[in-house]
Amino acid sequence: MLGNLNTRVMLEYLPDIWQGFLATLMLSAAGFAGAMIIGIVACALSIQPLRWLRGPAVVYVDAIRATPLLAQLYFLYFGLPRLGILVPEMVIGVIALSLNSGAYVAEIIRSGILSIPRGQVEAGKSTGMTYLQRMRLIILPQAIRPTVSPLIGQAIVLIKDSSLLSLISVVELTRAGQMIAIDRFMPIEGLVATALAYLVLYYLLKLLAGVWVYQNRLPGRA
Amino acid sequence: MIEFSSLNKWFGALHVLSDISLSVAKGEVVVVCGPSGSGKSTLIRCVNGLEPFQKGKLIVDGTELGGSEASLRDLRMEVGFVFQQFNLYPHKTALENVTLAPVHVRKLSKAAAEERGRALLEKVGLADKMENYPHQLSGGQQQRVAIARSLAMQPKIMLFDEPTSALDPEMINEVLDVMVSLANEGMTMMVVTHEMGFARKVADRVMFMDRGAIVEIAAPETFFTTPKNDRTRDFLSKVLQH
Repeated sequence: MLGNLNTRVMLEYLPDIWQGFLATLMLSAAGFAGAMIIGIVACALSIQPLRWLRGPAVVYVDAIRATPLLAQLYFLYFGLPRLGILVPEMVIGVIALSLNSGAYVAEIIRSGILSIPRGQVEAGKSTGMTYLQRMRLIILPQAIRPTVSPLIGQAIVLIKDSSLLSLISVVELTRAGQMIAIDRFMPIEGLVATALAYLVLYYLLKLLAGVWVYQNRLPGRA
Repeated sequence: MIEFSSLNKWFGALHVLSDISLSVAKGEVVVVCGPSGSGKSTLIRCVNGLEPFQKGKLIVDGTELGGSEASLRDLRMEVGFVFQQFNLYPHKTALENVTLAPVHVRKLSKAAAEERGRALLEKVGLADKMENYPHQLSGGQQQRVAIARSLAMQPKIMLFDEPTSALDPEMINEVLDVMVSLANEGMTMMVVTHEMGFARKVADRVMFMDRGAIVEIAAPETFFTTPKNDRTRDFLSKVLQH
């Protein structure tokens, strides 16, 4: 199947794949930035003892995790115009990705915070620190390390999920690959080119994660 | 300095502290002992508000517990707490562990906090370990850093919750020595411990707790030589054998 791959056509469409690659990179970066903001806020709310603060965050996380991204995407695509909000498909796509990944990011950060032993909080309390001081000086610096790997994992998921935006006619990597299929009736060439581009993105992120872990290894520990 | 009046605490249906009345004077050292589950840790955790209680009154350094979050924070600045498990900040060096609260809570300048921190770490015998991280230190060294960390806030009261129970036997004395010198300097202390040698040497009063109540409290000579209560005698016969 791959033996008689038409590499000439793939090279011919390289500029389109490159454009799609850049679009996917941008959409994913914007989506993940939004997801981090939403996730941090949702996580901050979900660990509060007050029910009226915690409630909305829990409902949000559950609703997102319980429904497919495609459904959420279509919901926004058809729902926002009904509310009179008319924005480009690309923006809808970024919102959908942010809202979707935000729920997972919230859970990842929450588990990072909950992994810090209770004694750390008590040590901070005992010296008169406020809640925010304990979070900033003691809990968060320690909680970042165990969350980095799962957050990179979530970013990788988000990049692949962004392929769904092709369904609301956003031109990104998957869409660019489909062009080869449609123009030249060569679906495999399109898919392979797309897959290779996703692979490049994946290894880029993996490399970044590795660099971060190396630079932030615990002092005095190998 | 510390005044319990008819303090009661429940964990659900379990009555963990029952009718505690006790007054600790300035400069006094009170050692608290008793079997596990007797409520002794819970008792001293009430003093700096780590545990809430349901009934009774507790006044520490003129502040009644159960007030606002802000007044509790002000109180905690004056009350040092040393944990069984040290609870040092693993991402900070020994010196950073000691200076963190003085800088951020007492608002000391970094230079002033470091000067104080270095002096305290020297005092607990860790002059050569200031830049080490907790995992690079032995248990006894970690606990001494933890004591220095509490002292850096210049507290009026120090609470110790089984400070040597997690240590290897050969490290217990290095920690006890620091506590003895602290007691000799006139620090007001409540110490939960089974180190009866320490109690004999520095305690003004020794207290025995069982099932959430104070069973007996007396000066060390009386407490160890002529305990009144059967349960105290029984407990002492077990801990003094070795």
